[in-house]
Amino acid sequence: MSSTTQVSRSGRRWRGSMVLGAVSVAALLSACSGAASGPAGGAGDAAAAPAADAKLTLTVYSKFTDREYNVVTAGLNKLKAKFPNIEIKHEGQQDDDKITQSIRGGNPPDVAISFFTDNLGAWCSTGSFQDLKPYIERDKVDLTQIPDAVRSYTEYQGKRCAMPMLADVYGFYYNKDMFAAKGVTSPPKTTAELFEATKKLTEFNPDGSIKVAGFMPSMPFYANFAQYWAPNFGASYLGPDGQSHLADSPEWKAMFDFQKQLVDFYGGHAKVEQFKAGLGEEYSADHGFQRGKLAMMIDGEYRTAFIKDQTPDLKFGTAAPPVLDSKPDRYGGAFTTGTIIAIPKGAKNPGAAWELIKQVTLDTATLVDLSNGLKNVPSTKAALTDPKLEVNPEFKTFLDLYNGGKLLPNPSTPIGDAHLKAVNDFAEKWQAGNIPDMAAGLKQVDAQINDELAQKRAGG
Amino acid sequence: MTSTLDSRAAGSPSASSRTRKGNAARRRRTIFYFIAPAMLGFLIFFGYPLIATVYYSFTRYDLINPPEFIGFDNYIRMFTSEPLVGTAAYNTLWLVIVLTFCRVVFALGTASIISRLKSGVGLVRTLCYLPSLAPPAAATLAFVFLFNPEYGPVNAFLRSVGVDGGLWFNDPGMSKPALTLLVMWGSGELMIIILAALLDVPQEQYEAAQLDGAGPVRRFWHVTLPSISPVLLFGVVNSMIFALQFFTQAIVAGSAAAGAADVAGNTRFIGAPQNSTLTYPVWLYVQGFRYFNMGYAAAMAVLLFIVSAGFTWILVRQLRKSQHQEEGG
Amino acid sequence: MITLSETRRREPVTEPPRVRVRRQWDKKLYWIATHSLGIAMGVIFMLPIVFVFLTAVMSSEQALSSNFWPKEWHFENFIEVFEKAPLLQYFGNSMLYSTLATLGALISAIPAAYALSKLRFRGQNLFFMLTVAAMMLPPQVTVVPLYDLWVRLGFTGTLVPLIVPYFFFDAFSIFLLRQFFLTIPKDYLEAAKIDGCNEFQAMIKVLIPMAKPGIAATAMFCFLFTWNDYFGPLLYTGETRDSWPLSLAIASFRGMHHVEWNLTMAATALIMLPVIVLFVFAQKSFVKGVTFTGVKG
Repeated sequence: MSSTTQVSRSGRRWRGSMVLGAVSVAALLSACSGAASGPAGGAGDAAAAPAADAKLTLTVYSKFTDREYNVVTAGLNKLKAKFPNIEIKHEGQQDDDKITQSIRGGNPPDVAISFFTDNLGAWCSTGSFQDLKPYIERDKVDLTQIPDAVRSYTEYQGKRCAMPMLADVYGFYYNKDMFAAKGVTSPPKTTAELFEATKKLTEFNPDGSIKVAGFMPSMPFYANFAQYWAPNFGASYLGPDGQSHLADSPEWKAMFDFQKQLVDFYGGHAKVEQFKAGLGEEYSADHGFQRGKLAMMIDGEYRTAFIKDQTPDLKFGTAAPPVLDSKPDRYGGAFTTGTIIAIPKGAKNPGAAWELIKQVTLDTATLVDLSNGLKNVPSTKAALTDPKLEVNPEFKTFLDLYNGGKLLPNPSTPIGDAHLKAVNDFAEKWQAGNIPDMAAGLKQVDAQINDELAQKRAGG
Repeated sequence: MTSTLDSRAAGSPSASSRTRKGNAARRRRTIFYFIAPAMLGFLIFFGYPLIATVYYSFTRYDLINPPEFIGFDNYIRMFTSEPLVGTAAYNTLWLVIVLTFCRVVFALGTASIISRLKSGVGLVRTLCYLPSLAPPAAATLAFVFLFNPEYGPVNAFLRSVGVDGGLWFNDPGMSKPALTLLVMWGSGELMIIILAALLDVPQEQYEAAQLDGAGPVRRFWHVTLPSISPVLLFGVVNSMIFALQFFTQAIVAGSAAAGAADVAGNTRFIGAPQNSTLTYPVWLYVQGFRYFNMGYAAAMAVLLFIVSAGFTWILVRQLRKSQHQEEGG
Repeated sequence: MITLSETRRREPVTEPPRVRVRRQWDKKLYWIATHSLGIAMGVIFMLPIVFVFLTAVMSSEQALSSNFWPKEWHFENFIEVFEKAPLLQYFGNSMLYSTLATLGALISAIPAAYALSKLRFRGQNLFFMLTVAAMMLPPQVTVVPLYDLWVRLGFTGTLVPLIVPYFFFDAFSIFLLRQFFLTIPKDYLEAAKIDGCNEFQAMIKVLIPMAKPGIAATAMFCFLFTWNDYFGPLLYTGETRDSWPLSLAIASFRGMHHVEWNLTMAATALIMLPVIVLFVFAQKSFVKGVTFTGVKG
């Protein structure tokens, strides 16, 4: 008797696992159609906000690390005031590529944070990020509290699929002690002045190698990227026809000529490369500027926080970046980008994710805290003027740039950052002297960008 | 040639034809059980993807929207408008030629030296073999550090003897040679294979050649080389396949030398400096899994398959030959 | 297995004494030349590893100078790397991947290799050739549909897509085991069968015990290959750090934790260590296995 029950029981278990198998096959099939049926869950209705006592875990991907990671984690956890039972699982150092991969791979976080807006166009156009319009309409969010430039770089062709969480502005940094020692009285305002200052500030070793560099021309290196320089030269990527026209642009030519002029001053590409290879890691205390091996550089406002944290004794100043001599009206302008936050397609808790996004992009107290911690520019007007925002002279430069009305963001394109890779690849070859004819080289860059654009456009 | 069961059947003439048939059926079943999982695995993980790759290569597919048939567009794009695939193919071709040559010659050189040692063979062999076991990602990081132009020990040594060391992984002209050095450092496996072959060369042949008045060079050309040529061919084909799929070292070296914040591959730093480490598999990976042009990546994969199939065919033919010899002898 | 003493050149005996003296001199010079070359080679091969370990115990300032010998020995660097990154977790992932994959490869490859080496069936040659072809195939060729498949099954972000195939088909293990099995005389198996064993029992009871060194070598290669694998983990677990194995973690270690070279080299040394230990204990199997892939192949 007992043996029969045993058999039947094990039989039942067996059948049970069969059913389980069938279910998983069904799940598999539905997963197939899910993966292939367009931006499922992208557009449409807003997911309901969670109940106040909802118990769930929100996964957040961002690229922050170390000190910055802790600041952001604290900011994210402010959601707990409203939803005490929501756990935040914040994973740092997830760059744009990883976010894309996780969404395509069907394994996305609930909330994605990106440092840059480079890939926004790609994420919006493919439906990788969910459209936030239904949420904004449901909760009657007033978007005019966000400055125009910031609003423009967080949407793509009128589609709002991300919110701005703090902004970055790229300004000019200089070492005050080195300026005093070499008799440079004020930060350069034009590229000609920048070149003169570089000549004064640079020191060479007896063997001709660089000991201290005035200003580094290498790209891509630290915050030296073509896109960060471009606004100071008035150079832009896409023409009115939506095609790349770098080869026809005198501004791009001026920018690369200036880069080459600097390389030649140092005695050639090899010298610059050798010096560059000896500089420390970008976000460590061994950063060349913080170690006194670089006198001047272009960098984001967040560097003020790194300096304060890692090398507090460094005497430095900030200013608007120097502009091309023929474009004096560009002075006071700067490159801007910002941290964006969004709900990826396939997020498990979109309703709760939206609550978190509201918390960190619209709540003044949270934004001010984040801004004070990261030394980023807050992205709402209320937070910008909040008395609790800590402003020192070095940081104020960036707030002024931000309010100056001359900010230039990257264009949002559907090809992600492929156009930026193309331009920076060119800059890298050009500085090395591997491109004999600049116009021909830039034509190739145009061809490459337009090819990628055509590839995506044909896809709809 | 006769199999176990056949000979047993032949050895028992009393067995009726029915049991023989039963035996055959059972035998077939046994064989089926032995190879079925492997066959299934082969079909799922090689057969299906090979065919599906060809299908995808005719589509535009981004993993979000369903594949859309576009005919030969991907292939046309590959051969006309997309500029970096040419760079990538060139880099890989460079590696297939130079890296293969250096790896085989270097392994042959080290093996010949070891084969001439009288004492300490085991130790030297161990020391030369050990680096080939190091995880490629770690070994590459180590090399990027060792060859750092400013503070790396290699350039420091070269400076001390009055030579200007160069930029290695930071110079597009030297990054591939530096990668080749890295591969040569890890060529111990091939060295062991060649060493075994060298020691298999019958000693009498050397003595005969010596009596004929042949010097060391001629002995090498006329005795050593012919008898180890099958192994050398294996080494060449093996190295070519290795070079064709060169990925890890290239992607890690490129990103690490560029000072990328995230070495596991920010697209912007992949291939640095100046796309000189952008190998064909790396670009395939970027197109397929960074830009998610999976149809295009599939087209690149088809081309890679055709080329590697050619190399494999050489090796398989060689294997066949040696197998026939085995069976014949 | 490679003993050189038995294959030494013998001296022709009919030589005038003066020539013999010169020959002895030549031989001595030759001995010195080859051995110094051999020593130099060993040293050159070891130098990079030595530098990795030396840099690993330097201060971060010194790692940025071209000074090879540590001024102070910072052995605590090896502890500090564990605070910088969850290396133990990555180590666990690596162990999981390598152990399961090796186990799977043995379970699936031993019967297949047995069939290929000890049985006769139609299509045997074809199957063997396909195995060799699969072994040679660059992994990038099949990666697009496979990734798509694993996305649909919902296993991206885990090590499952990397482990499961080993339980069905691992070309290299099948190939290597077949080469080993070929060297085991059939007579033993036939004797077992005459005693009433079927093929399966013969494999378990006779072949596997006799082929232990070969199986050990195969297991080690499989373990090593998966331990060192970078492409697979990058593809399937690139964005889910919880699943990262060491090989992937080491590549991101420097940028990710803003660390300088000394700690990076400490981590590098730590990931090389298990491999070196494995090798020291199983050197013979390694060498034997490598030889088999080439000479008999």
